[in-house]
Amino acid sequence: MKALILVGGFGTRLRPLTLSVPKPLVDFANKPMILHQIEALKSIGVTEVVLAINYQPEVMLNFLKDFEAKLEIKITCSQETEPLGTAGPLALARDKLIDESGEPFFVLNSDVISEYPLIEMIEFHKSHGGEASIMVTKVDEPSKYGVVVTEESTGKVERFVEKPKLFVGNKINAGIYLLNPSVLDRIQLRPTSIEKEIFPKIAAEGKLYAMVLLGFWMDIGQPKDYITGLRLYLDSLRKKASPKLATGTNIIGNVLVDESAKIGEGCLIGPDVAIGPGCVVESGVRLSCCTVMRGVRIKKHACISSSIIGWHSTVGQWARVENMTILGEDVHVCDEIYSNGGVVLPHKEIKSSILKPEIVM
Amino acid sequence: MGGSEERVVAVIMVGGPTKGTRFRPLSLNTPKPLFPLAGQPMVNHPISACKRIPNLAQIYLIGFYEEREFALFVSSISNELRVPVRYLKEDKPHGSAGGLYNFRDQIMEESPSHIFLLNCDVCCSFPLAEMLEAHISYRGMGTILVIEVSPESANQFGELVADPVTNELLHYTEKPETFVSDRINCGVYIFTPDIFTAIQGVSSQRKDRATLRRVSSFEALQPANRSLPSDFVRLDQDILSPLAGKKQFYVYETTDYWEQIKTPGMSLKCSGLYLAQFRRTSPDLLASGDGTKNAAISGNVYIHPSAKVHPTAKIGPNASISANARIGAGVRLVHCIILDDVEIKENAVVIHAIVGWKSSIGRWSRVQASGDHNTKLGVTILGESVTVEDEVVVINSIVLPNKTMNVSVQEEIIL
Repeated sequence: MKALILVGGFGTRLRPLTLSVPKPLVDFANKPMILHQIEALKSIGVTEVVLAINYQPEVMLNFLKDFEAKLEIKITCSQETEPLGTAGPLALARDKLIDESGEPFFVLNSDVISEYPLIEMIEFHKSHGGEASIMVTKVDEPSKYGVVVTEESTGKVERFVEKPKLFVGNKINAGIYLLNPSVLDRIQLRPTSIEKEIFPKIAAEGKLYAMVLLGFWMDIGQPKDYITGLRLYLDSLRKKASPKLATGTNIIGNVLVDESAKIGEGCLIGPDVAIGPGCVVESGVRLSCCTVMRGVRIKKHACISSSIIGWHSTVGQWARVENMTILGEDVHVCDEIYSNGGVVLPHKEIKSSILKPEIVM
Repeated sequence: MGGSEERVVAVIMVGGPTKGTRFRPLSLNTPKPLFPLAGQPMVNHPISACKRIPNLAQIYLIGFYEEREFALFVSSISNELRVPVRYLKEDKPHGSAGGLYNFRDQIMEESPSHIFLLNCDVCCSFPLAEMLEAHISYRGMGTILVIEVSPESANQFGELVADPVTNELLHYTEKPETFVSDRINCGVYIFTPDIFTAIQGVSSQRKDRATLRRVSSFEALQPANRSLPSDFVRLDQDILSPLAGKKQFYVYETTDYWEQIKTPGMSLKCSGLYLAQFRRTSPDLLASGDGTKNAAISGNVYIHPSAKVHPTAKIGPNASISANARIGAGVRLVHCIILDDVEIKENAVVIHAIVGWKSSIGRWSRVQASGDHNTKLGVTILGESVTVEDEVVVINSIVLPNKTMNVSVQEEIIL
């Protein structure tokens, strides 16, 4: 079975992290974002994944070589020379997605982290016999997104409403689709939106069905949602009683610690923390609601909350880092510094406190 | 002077990618030395000045960038100027003098009698031939280019005191807290090869002190010496300061313009200074037009031959338009740098801004800033491939590459 992951463009909303690596390779819960999706696909028997990209293909391809071998799944790239929107890339990758088997193929949006009930989706698709299935998820604020209005009993999609001003429903497009190869005949090789042009046509013919995603879902394309997403993800690990979660007297709530990371004495870690490979957390450190990426050193007595600390950065002794501080790669926060929402580009040293949210270039 | 024995080598320090974060967002896409001022890469200006040095044998660029970033530039500029230009990559920081010392074998290859040292991010008239003449008459180890600045701003630089008659350097202090002098170090020097001996002296002294440290705990507590490796030698603190007043160094004063190009805002100001210089020395490089067959030009303007400018546009003063840019009908450009492949649509206005490569400026849109080169948002900077949609206004802001501005903003940094 095949799958396409829409990786798209520059990931500008996740800057400064995406100034160092392309977005799909930004780590989430100690694993590159895209690996979560590739592993979910592999586990249900997908044999080939096509990445639709238009930015930094060399970096992506290098990374993929490692994982192709480890995961035993074929990974190829389909590179757009001009941005093709959310449907155009499918037309571009047509030859890779169709084979003689005529099986449907998955399409995933690379910014999404979720439960991935893909087997259930295959069953759902077979049972309704339509041309396309899309996963929808319930959200609190539907008008931030595109709402999918469906017939309650069958899940047949009636219409899409983009960012509705009045309440029409609370289910939005979760960015996970299962499509018959015939859908490709509807897509031309030009910039096309799948939500605005392709799906509405299929819905009008009564051939598009929506399945409600139970379990967590988050679009982690921007820092605030990335941090919320980590909380949801770790929560789902807790529900599955995953052995990956850390335990100990210095751990509160759900915490993920890579086995090569070191944590000192007298620390209090959690809830909702991920500590990456090679990290050193010195003694007396308090971490909550944060991600600490590969190779970071947090010095003694520091306190970090609701922040993302980028690869190979350091946070100084007694420093306090909070309120959506995002440190890019190789950023060094000096001792005793306070950062309230600082967004710091790579290769910087922070020698004076950031009292209110500010971008440091 | 300048007999057949005189051979001169010039060394230009170009810095590196992680060192100059102040030049972001423009340096996110291009090494700062290659950023264009008045239509030519920043490093071209000191290189062209070096051409006026009699008996110039070789130019070296020393920096931390990867060789491949400079390969193309170096081969094309060598051909164009018919002077060999080479890029040498430093493996680790050696300090401003240590870097020179690190490559002494290459620099001394042609047995030069004199060595110029220039900083790439200095904007000035580079009176190098005059400096050489003065240096030869002083018979010292080195001559420093100096300029008078306002007393209030002097402490951002190296302040020095010189003998008004002999021009000998009597005293030198780097960024002092109290006022020492209003004459400052311009970052342009000429040395005789003895400079290498002086630098080596500092290295060995430091090595000796390092072994002594095990004996003297007081030495170990001196913060200035504690963390510097022996091959890290700074020109200012380690050579000029200690050797001032010992008849080794002299000064040559310039009364022309001088600025440091540390930020994108300053690059716009310096582009203007170089355009004004072209007006004096090579006016045929500048554009002209009166709005009939060609666009109306006001003041000093550079337009690359491949750029297309609509005759109803009005350009200048202080505008620089790079290769393949397309300027539409009725566009007004003032105090700006328009980089390669930019498209500016009809009736748009750009004032005090830098528009990055391949960007697109919509119809009736307005990209402007206060023009204060010293404040962070005083010049609006659009990175590579930024789109400003029709009728949108962007004021006093910085926009990182690949963004689309579809709502107006003021005083913002858009990541």
